[in-house]
Amino acid sequence: MNRNGAFSKAFNILFCAFMLAPIVVVLGVSFTPEGFLEFPPSGISLRWYEAILDNPDFIQAAWISLQLAFAAATVATLLAIPAALAIGQSRFRGRDALQAIFLSPLMVPTVVLGIAFLRFLSLFGLNGTFAGLTACHAIIITPFILRLVLAAVTGLDMSAARAAESLGAGRWTVFRRITLPAILPGVVGGWVLAFITSFDELTVTVFIVNPSTTTLPVRMFSHITQTTDPLVASVSSVTVIFSLALMILVDRLYGLDRLLIGEGKKA
Amino acid sequence: MAFLTLDGLTKRYGEVTAVDSLSCSVEKGEFVSLLGPSGCGKTTTLQMIAGFEQPSAGHIRLGGRDLAAIPARERGLGIVFQSYALFLHMTVRENVAFGLEMRKVAKKELKARVERALELVHLGALADRYPRAMSGGQRQRVALARALVIEPELLLLDEPLSNLDAKLREEMQLELRRIQREAGVTTLMVTHDQSEALAMSDRVVVMDGGQLQQVDSPFNVYETPRCSFVSTFLGKSNNFAAMLESRDATGSVLACNGVTLRGPVAHLRPGPAEIAIRPERIRLAAPGEGLLRGTVQERVFLGAQWMLAIDTPLGGFLVARPNSGAQEVEIGAEVGLDWSPADMRILPAGEAA
Repeated sequence: MNRNGAFSKAFNILFCAFMLAPIVVVLGVSFTPEGFLEFPPSGISLRWYEAILDNPDFIQAAWISLQLAFAAATVATLLAIPAALAIGQSRFRGRDALQAIFLSPLMVPTVVLGIAFLRFLSLFGLNGTFAGLTACHAIIITPFILRLVLAAVTGLDMSAARAAESLGAGRWTVFRRITLPAILPGVVGGWVLAFITSFDELTVTVFIVNPSTTTLPVRMFSHITQTTDPLVASVSSVTVIFSLALMILVDRLYGLDRLLIGEGKKA
Repeated sequence: MAFLTLDGLTKRYGEVTAVDSLSCSVEKGEFVSLLGPSGCGKTTTLQMIAGFEQPSAGHIRLGGRDLAAIPARERGLGIVFQSYALFLHMTVRENVAFGLEMRKVAKKELKARVERALELVHLGALADRYPRAMSGGQRQRVALARALVIEPELLLLDEPLSNLDAKLREEMQLELRRIQREAGVTTLMVTHDQSEALAMSDRVVVMDGGQLQQVDSPFNVYETPRCSFVSTFLGKSNNFAAMLESRDATGSVLACNGVTLRGPVAHLRPGPAEIAIRPERIRLAAPGEGLLRGTVQERVFLGAQWMLAIDTPLGGFLVARPNSGAQEVEIGAEVGLDWSPADMRILPAGEAA
């Protein structure tokens, strides 16, 4: 173990402060008793949290976002697992191309994707529908899952699958009983990451929603283009706390470092 | 009719021939080793028997049936992998039970058979542990129990001891042999470790460059190697190019680097040949006596024996001498080297210097 020097300690503190400052400001603002964004707040009030309850369109939007994130993360996971197994376990022509295609949504600017999706969904009359949104979100978040699952697959001992096969297991049984449990931390981690990414996706979504499928980020975006009241701050605070709760839950279940860094083999 | 027969088994990867028309057989209950350096095709052979690789040509027959059309999961072979390939998310008991579950063995019988398999490998007390919490030797036993519990017709061992440290490896050699005898299972082991193959097998199949070099009992492959490769790969050997000048029913005469040597009865025609003498068959004599004069270049103490490197007119010799408790000759000493002609082997001319 080597101790951190004063310089690196200072750097770490500054870095953490830089990362946390915006969240602290939002949390602070959300407790203001005033009708405008002020920081530090002049008092402590739950006025803007009560205001959320008076805005059913925000609650409706949050509900849509939750459903969308759940559906899109699940669809993307179902796509990413077989893709990761194919890319990670076998060598075939076009393997690198396949991987590049699956990861490409990370490289295309999201505004471009948004416009493309808008045009594409219109062709099928899916514009603004929940199914259309789910498909688009699934495409955007697949790379996140694929990378985590791929990392898990790459570290996999292929001979375990062969051992199961030699003991009489068919392909599906090998997957269900041997391969899937071994890569499950990567799958769960990918799903959570994808869920959160979908939940706060704005740039693409803003092109393809309609009033009945408005998601929470889009609702908040249109709210602050009209007014600057602290309602968005209190809504933001709630989503921050929700994300935090999700992360803590996952940490308790699997260990966050294991999911996001992929090491730490706790026996 | 042999139990397992490999007949002209061949595997090509594009231009490369990994296994070149290999034919050999294993009797029921026998322990046979496939021995060779890495890349000699032994692992590919095992993979083909297991059903993970398709042969390019040739046949594999087990108990009379041709395995070609039978997928790996229906061959019913027990396989112990080099990495053990344990299921890390399952306990020892669950690992061992897996093969029986796949065979839909009734619960009661399954439980009894798992217990018996764990007893066989002395792991009964650790049945509810996870493999991560076990030592290398224990994991090895789990892998063995998992392979044996399905009562396979054939047990395949892929470098089973190579991940263990030296001391444990020697223990496991005896242990593995005991388990194999008790289970009475026909076994084919792949290894690159000649001492492992000699210690454990009923017969050794020596392979090099995808081809079979020699099949025989450990004693015979060591004592009467058929070629230069076998003589140097199994144990240490002093090999020199020689010219077989004449031969008759009582022995032979060879010229080796200007020295005339008497050899045993030769089965080769007169002409270029190679001689091989084991280090432990050479006796030291007073300088000027014996067959050759030499100078001790290097001396290594190995506990039970000394290993001497001696420079002679033929070239460098390795000589092994048992540690008799007395001081061994010093480096730089002049000695004579002697051996009886019967301890010399005459091999077809190889690549030896």
